[in-house]
Amino acid sequence: METTLLAQSLLLALTTAGLYAAIASGLTLEFGVTGIINFAHGEFVMLGAFLTYFLYETAGVPPLAGMLLAGLAMTALSWLVFDGFLSRVLKQDEHNQILATIGLSILLINLAMIAWTPDARVMHAPPLLPPLQLGDVIVPGNNLVVLLVGIALYAGMIWFMRHTRQGLLLRLAADDPQLAVLAGVDVTRMFRLSFLIGGLTAGVSGGLVALILYVQPLVGVDLVMRAFAIVALGGLGSIGGALIGAVLLSAAENLTATFVPGGGSWGYGVAFVIIVLVLVVRPTGLFGSERRA
Amino acid sequence: MPDTASPGPTRRPAQPSGGAILAVEDLTVAFGGLKALDGVSLSIAAGEITGLIGPNGSGKSTLVNTVSGQLPVRGGRIRLHGGDVTGRRPDRIVRAGMARTYQIPRVPPTLTVEEVLSVPLLYAGRDRHRLPGLGDAAAIAAFCGLGPLFRRFCGDLSVTDLRRLEIARALACAPDLLLLDEAMAGLSHEDSVEVMGLIRNVHEQGISIVIIEHLMRVITSLCHRVVVLNNGRLLAEGAPATVLADQAVREAYLGKGFAA
Amino acid sequence: MKTGLTRLLPYVLILLATLALVWIDKPFWIQLAIGVAITAITALAWDILSRTGQVSLGSAAFFGIGSYTLAIFEPLIGLALAWIAVVVVCALAATLLGLLTLRLRRMYFAIATLGFALSMQVLVVVFPDWTGGSGGIAPPVLADGDPRWQLGLIGLLLLAAVALSDALLGLRFRPAFFMIRTKPELAAASGVPVVRMKIFAFIVSGVLIGLAGACYGGLYGYVVPTDVFTTNWSVLPLAIATLGGMDTTIGPLLGAIALKALEEVARSVIGGTGYQVVYGAVIILFVIGMPQGIVGLLRKAAALAGRRTAAGEKKKERERHA
Repeated sequence: METTLLAQSLLLALTTAGLYAAIASGLTLEFGVTGIINFAHGEFVMLGAFLTYFLYETAGVPPLAGMLLAGLAMTALSWLVFDGFLSRVLKQDEHNQILATIGLSILLINLAMIAWTPDARVMHAPPLLPPLQLGDVIVPGNNLVVLLVGIALYAGMIWFMRHTRQGLLLRLAADDPQLAVLAGVDVTRMFRLSFLIGGLTAGVSGGLVALILYVQPLVGVDLVMRAFAIVALGGLGSIGGALIGAVLLSAAENLTATFVPGGGSWGYGVAFVIIVLVLVVRPTGLFGSERRA
Repeated sequence: MPDTASPGPTRRPAQPSGGAILAVEDLTVAFGGLKALDGVSLSIAAGEITGLIGPNGSGKSTLVNTVSGQLPVRGGRIRLHGGDVTGRRPDRIVRAGMARTYQIPRVPPTLTVEEVLSVPLLYAGRDRHRLPGLGDAAAIAAFCGLGPLFRRFCGDLSVTDLRRLEIARALACAPDLLLLDEAMAGLSHEDSVEVMGLIRNVHEQGISIVIIEHLMRVITSLCHRVVVLNNGRLLAEGAPATVLADQAVREAYLGKGFAA
Repeated sequence: MKTGLTRLLPYVLILLATLALVWIDKPFWIQLAIGVAITAITALAWDILSRTGQVSLGSAAFFGIGSYTLAIFEPLIGLALAWIAVVVVCALAATLLGLLTLRLRRMYFAIATLGFALSMQVLVVVFPDWTGGSGGIAPPVLADGDPRWQLGLIGLLLLAAVALSDALLGLRFRPAFFMIRTKPELAAASGVPVVRMKIFAFIVSGVLIGLAGACYGGLYGYVVPTDVFTTNWSVLPLAIATLGGMDTTIGPLLGAIALKALEEVARSVIGGTGYQVVYGAVIILFVIGMPQGIVGLLRKAAALAGRRTAAGEKKKERERHA
């Protein structure tokens, strides 16, 4: 019986890992390239969730299509945000940068609360895939979707970074901004691009959140905390590390919630403890490099 | 006034040196597998201006960073005034009488010259060693040509003035030994001449000096002795003329030696 | 240049304001002032720490540790010793966090301190026998619940915070702190014991925030982990100090007043939910338009006025020597 519980727990962990990886990779990309930690990243996920929810509930747009639209919408919003004010923060001190994205986060959360009330909503979408049965363990269909889409987003980002010219330039801007400038790369454009991609992944991830979690103005806050833990684990700037971090975190969370009595209420807190422990032991994360901190 | 036209040595006669003020024995410093300093043994004579030269990557900066306490030692010893200071924290080494300058001095732009100089005066713990006439910030600033800039914000200073400030700051540590890390880099000819004059004035106060330099005319006109590093090892040492004529030294520099 | 008068201004203002409010005895204004004072204390404490380059998002940790320490120890060792325990425990926690995050730079430091603060919530829930778990805990009520005395006590703490902030902006500390912030190697090369100074700043900051948290808990005699340990109490000090003007004593004070005023206006216009949207809007506007904060704006205005008179003086000088 214990092994079934364990297997079930781990399998569910895997599905959320896909989601977390998608969210975290956007965050880590933005940081790796611009050096800014986007505390509002979770709110882009939240807005993507709301968009997907409303598209489905009011217009019957199938969730997968809705996710895509959410992604595009968040890309557009990221563009606006970057050109509108984040670009001016790039040259300022670190505390101003922190404040800028926190301010954006507060703004978006409260706008959402005013517009849609703080109440949580649940998207009643039918399972998009049949459930997967492995012995005694069942994985619900929508969890499978989350796993697949999450992995796809994540893999898509890795492919983009490794096999396209833009991706190469992004990595150059991240690793060696001075060299990038000398090579004639428009660094501002690269910064903007990193935020656009971050926005895209956030929007689509929001759709995933709507699918298996709930839709609520504060949903991004917990998620972004987890994203931080993952990014700390995997190393800020390391997209490859984000997946490993996501798996580790999901496993730790789910195991705590399942096996530790009362662990459900504070399982998420594991994330924070991990952040501190990892950063203390390996200040640049498990896979990060001595880059911009 | 410093003689700038002639290329030959124009130094003052060396102070009677009681021996080595700084000695490193078999010093090894490594980053992972890479040995930046490989068993280097040398000593710096008290009362002299010693030049530390070598091609890029030879270990000059590593040596300065290590003896000043910033980098950890993999092997060997560092002795200041004969006492073992291996592994001591940088602020404790300042207290023991060795001060260094930074090539790129990042000083807080919102501090004034006076405030920057106040830090070593308050923290270096060298009050018993202060030279008469260099006992307070104003005097030190004036000595280094920063008198009129005493209350100016560091953010408003020119590069040359920042260099002077770096030397002044190190002077405010009342050191017995001063390590200068490429004090002339990026300066115009006139400015570097002025800084060289300042260095001579500092030496005249009885302070031993080590300077890392790339400009050979500075080495030949300022230094009593020269130490050459290459690939983390000691290559040659001796009087400037002798060292710079040395075949091995010339080869190490691949002919770039006499850039002025 | 700071004249004697401008240095005394914050103390005088706080004293006068506190006395006036106590005398007028209108509950609304007293509560408002208490809120301003508590946030101002945390902002001053945050600023003190940030002067050494340690930009912390962990203020909530000390805020909560302060209130919880008071609540846990009062029944064990009495009120007076419990307050001392607050100081001791916060100092220890600050030393711990300071040492843990010593080698972390910039953004990593911010995230680590944030994680530390949020981990506190986990700790509280995991040891419910000591801490009352997620249900909360009941610290001793401050000044027997009399708001005027509460304001008086908190006002005293604020004066202490102002005094500390001022002292640490003096010649002995400010240049050393700034050097540590800009280039710690340079500070060390000037004889500054960098680690000790950073931990010192951490301890001063942590203890001040902890005392403020203990006062906060004592306002109603009840705290819950989802209040004192929330990100709110980590963000607020940063926001106030930055908006008011960092590296000053008057900046965090002005920022606290301004933000509180903003909050009250927003609350009456927008209602109970979502009124914090103005925080977000103001923060963004500030970051774009006024990155040096209110103090920076005032300085620029003074400089403009000064330049006009200085230019006038120079012209007169030239005419005189012509």
